[in-house]
Amino acid sequence: MDATFDPDLIHAIFKIVWSRRAERNEEIDVVDIEVGTGTSKKSRPTTANPSALRVSCELLRLFVTEAIERAAIIAEAEGINKIEPTHLERILPQLLLDF
Amino acid sequence: MDAGGVGGAGDSCFEKMETEEERTELLRDRFRLSVISIADAEAKKLGMQVAEPVVACIADLAFKFTEQLAKDVELFACHAGRKSVNVKDVILSAHRNDHLTSLLRSFSQELRDKEPKTERKRKKSSEKGETSVPS
Repeated sequence: MDATFDPDLIHAIFKIVWSRRAERNEEIDVVDIEVGTGTSKKSRPTTANPSALRVSCELLRLFVTEAIERAAIIAEAEGINKIEPTHLERILPQLLLDF
Repeated sequence: MDAGGVGGAGDSCFEKMETEEERTELLRDRFRLSVISIADAEAKKLGMQVAEPVVACIADLAFKFTEQLAKDVELFACHAGRKSVNVKDVILSAHRNDHLTSLLRSFSQELRDKEPKTERKRKKSSEKGETSVPS
């Protein structure tokens, strides 16, 4: 079985990001009294369904795997057996564009 | 975790932030461990070694990517009028790359196929109303 991320770990990271956002939106609401509770969508906490978390884990696993594979190709082309930071540097721009 | 904070709303805000930072650091460490195991497994498959700074860099990038992904899928779900993120939101986040999108689609299809029959029937009846074989 392939190594992959733990859905609970990813879920925990998601929750922190979402709560940060909810806090920021709360602050905005407090300042602008006239808006009232109109922005109800943002004040409700976001959740994720289990399949979505597993697909997210897969997406992240693909990110890591692609990074290694692409850097490995560069290293191999240089005839080196070990992936070094310079190899990673070379593939980084395209990797970030692709993801 | 108990910062011993006393006082008014301002202090409790800081207290929450401190534990959030601690929580984030803890998650970052666990995340890095996962990345190390995935990266090592992949390198082994390719018969190559990986320098430690490379894995650390990939771990940091992947963590930032995860945070960005969280924001993106939340926006998509909210845009669709939902408060719960589903598989379609995650697949949509990869829209810039067709190959990636199709990989995620087939992965999610595999997940659906592995689910117990009762789940599938429920899903099917809400989508198509027929107990036909998935294409």
